[in-house]
Amino acid sequence: MRQWLAGPSALLGLLALAALTAVFILPIIWMVTTSFQAGEKMFQLTTEWIPSVWHPENYPNAMGRAAFPLFFRNSVIVSAAVMVGNLVFCTLAGYGLAKYRFPGAKLLLLLILSTLMLPLEVTLVPTFLVIHKLGWVNSLQGIAGPLLIDAFGVFLMRQFILKIPTDYLEAARIDGAGELRILWKIVLPQCRPVLAVLALLAFRDSWDQFLWPLAVVSHDDYRTYPLGLVRFGEDYGNPPTEQMAIAVLATIPVFLLFLLLQRALRSGFGLSGLKG
Amino acid sequence: MSSIPGATARSLSARAPLRWPLHYRLRIQLWGVGFVLPTVLFFLVFKYGPMLWAMGLSFTSYDMMKTPRFVGVENYASLSRDPIFIQALLNTLVYIAGSTVFITAVGLGLALAINNRGRGRRLCLAGMFLTNIMPIVAVCLVWRFLFHPHGLINQILSPLGVGRIDWLTDSATAMPAIIGVTVWRFAPYFMVVFLAGLLAIPREYYEAAAIDGAGVLRRFRSITLPLLMPVTFFVVVVAALLSARIFLMPFLITGGGPGGATRVLSMLIYETGFSYMKMGRAAAISVVLFAIAMVFTIIQMRLFARNEEDAAA
Repeated sequence: MRQWLAGPSALLGLLALAALTAVFILPIIWMVTTSFQAGEKMFQLTTEWIPSVWHPENYPNAMGRAAFPLFFRNSVIVSAAVMVGNLVFCTLAGYGLAKYRFPGAKLLLLLILSTLMLPLEVTLVPTFLVIHKLGWVNSLQGIAGPLLIDAFGVFLMRQFILKIPTDYLEAARIDGAGELRILWKIVLPQCRPVLAVLALLAFRDSWDQFLWPLAVVSHDDYRTYPLGLVRFGEDYGNPPTEQMAIAVLATIPVFLLFLLLQRALRSGFGLSGLKG
Repeated sequence: MSSIPGATARSLSARAPLRWPLHYRLRIQLWGVGFVLPTVLFFLVFKYGPMLWAMGLSFTSYDMMKTPRFVGVENYASLSRDPIFIQALLNTLVYIAGSTVFITAVGLGLALAINNRGRGRRLCLAGMFLTNIMPIVAVCLVWRFLFHPHGLINQILSPLGVGRIDWLTDSATAMPAIIGVTVWRFAPYFMVVFLAGLLAIPREYYEAAAIDGAGVLRRFRSITLPLLMPVTFFVVVVAALLSARIFLMPFLITGGGPGGATRVLSMLIYETGFSYMKMGRAAAISVVLFAIAMVFTIIQMRLFARNEEDAAA
C-alpha cells in the first residue's frame, strides 16, 4: 500500500500529516493550557499557548465550587456498572448466538440487532416512564439500567467468537468440560482484543451520557459529572478556566483506560467499525 | 491463536463430526438459549416495550398527572402544522447529511494520508484518536470557546483577512460549525475503520498495476476506491445512524439557536416531554425520529445479511 503515493515527496507528506494531526490535537492542547490559565486571560486577542503564570489552583477551586467529587463518583459507579454489564451479557449473548444452533437463533439475532434503531434518544420518553414505574427515578441504577446491554456489543462479540474453531469447543466437551467452563477456559482467553474494545466503548459511551441522566435525575446526589459540568458552565460567576479544569479531569479516566488497554486494542479495533 | 494443551487441531477434526445422543444435544442447545435469553429479555423491557409504549402514547395526550387521554392522530396532525417541528426535522436531515458526507470524506482522507507514511504514523494516529476519547461534554465546551467571536478560530482566520465571524450566533454558520465539531470528533474513529479496510487490500494488486504502468491516481481510482466500497458504504450508514441521535452538541454549543437554526429532533423531544410535560406529543416526535433511524438500520441489516452470505459462500 505504501506504493500509491510514495515518492520523493515523503518528507512533504509527513509534514502534511503532522499538520493534519495538529488540527485534531490543537483543541485538546487548548483545553489543557486554558485549564492552567489565569481567568482574565480568556478571550484576549491572542492565545497564550504556554501560560506565563501557571494556575494549578484552578483544579481544586473548580472541584470545590460544586459537588464535583460526588458527581465524578456517581459517573464512575455508573460507567463501571455499564462496562461490567456489557462485558458479561454481550459475551454470553454473543457466544450463544455464535456457537449454539437452536431454533429461532437467527430471529433472536435480528431482534437484538434491530435495537440499534432504538437508541435512548428515540425511546427517551417511554424509557423514562419504565424507570418511573420501577421507582428508579433519581437513582444511579436508573441511569445505568437501560445502558447495561448494548446490541452493538453483542454483535461485536458474536462476530469475533464466530472465528474461534468449533472443534476446540467440541474437544473440550468430549473431555467432559461443562458449557460455562468451556466459555471461561477456551473462549474468553481468545477474546482479549475484542473484550478490550468492548470495555473501552461501553465505558466511554456511558461516561458520555448526558440526555438520559438529564431526564432521569433531578436531585444533586445522583447527578453525573456531565450534568454538573454543564450546570457549572451556566453559572456566570464560574471562570471558563475552571470549566476546562473539570473537562481535563473528565478526560483522564477514559484516557487511562485507553492506555491500559492499548495493546489489546491495537489488534481489536479493526473489527469494531460499527459505532463511533 | 492459542490451542488446547495436549490436543492438536488435527486430532480434533479427526473426531468430528460427533454424534451426540439427542438429549445431550438438547441440553447444549438449552445452554445456548440460556446465554442469549437475559439479553433478549433486557431488550424487550428497555427497547421494544418502550417503543411500543411510545407508539401508543403518541395517540394520546399525557402529562404524567392524569391518565393518558386518547386523541387519535391529533399529535401528528398538529406536528405537521408546527413550524418548530418542521424546522427541527429539516435541521436533523441537514445535520445527518452534512455530518455523514464530511465524516466519510475526512475519515477516508485521513486513512489514506496515514496509510502511506511509515515514520510518525502511529503517533499521528494515536493523537487524532484522542478526539474520540475526550468526553463529549468537554468537546462541546471547548469548541464553544473556540468559536467565540474572540476565540481561537477567529484568531487564526483574521491574519488571512477574514473578518470576525459570529459562528454560533449567525444562523448561516451555526449549523456548519456544529457539523464541523461532529466531524472533528468522529472522523478519526472512522479513519481507523477505513485503515482496516485498506490493510485488507492485497499489495499484489498495486504491484501488478504498477507493472502495467498505472499511475498513482489511476491505481487509486481503479483499485483502492472500488475495493473500499463496502467499507465506505458501511461507514456512511453508521455515521448517519450516529448523527440521527445527536443531542448534546447542538444542546450545549448553540442551545438550538440562533432562532432554532440548530434545534434537532432529539432536543425537541426532550423539551416537549420534560420541559412542557407533553409526553404524548413527545412520543409522536420520537416515532418520527424512530422512522429515520429505522431506514438506516434496515440498510445496515441488509449489508450485514449480505456479508453473512458472502462469508458462508
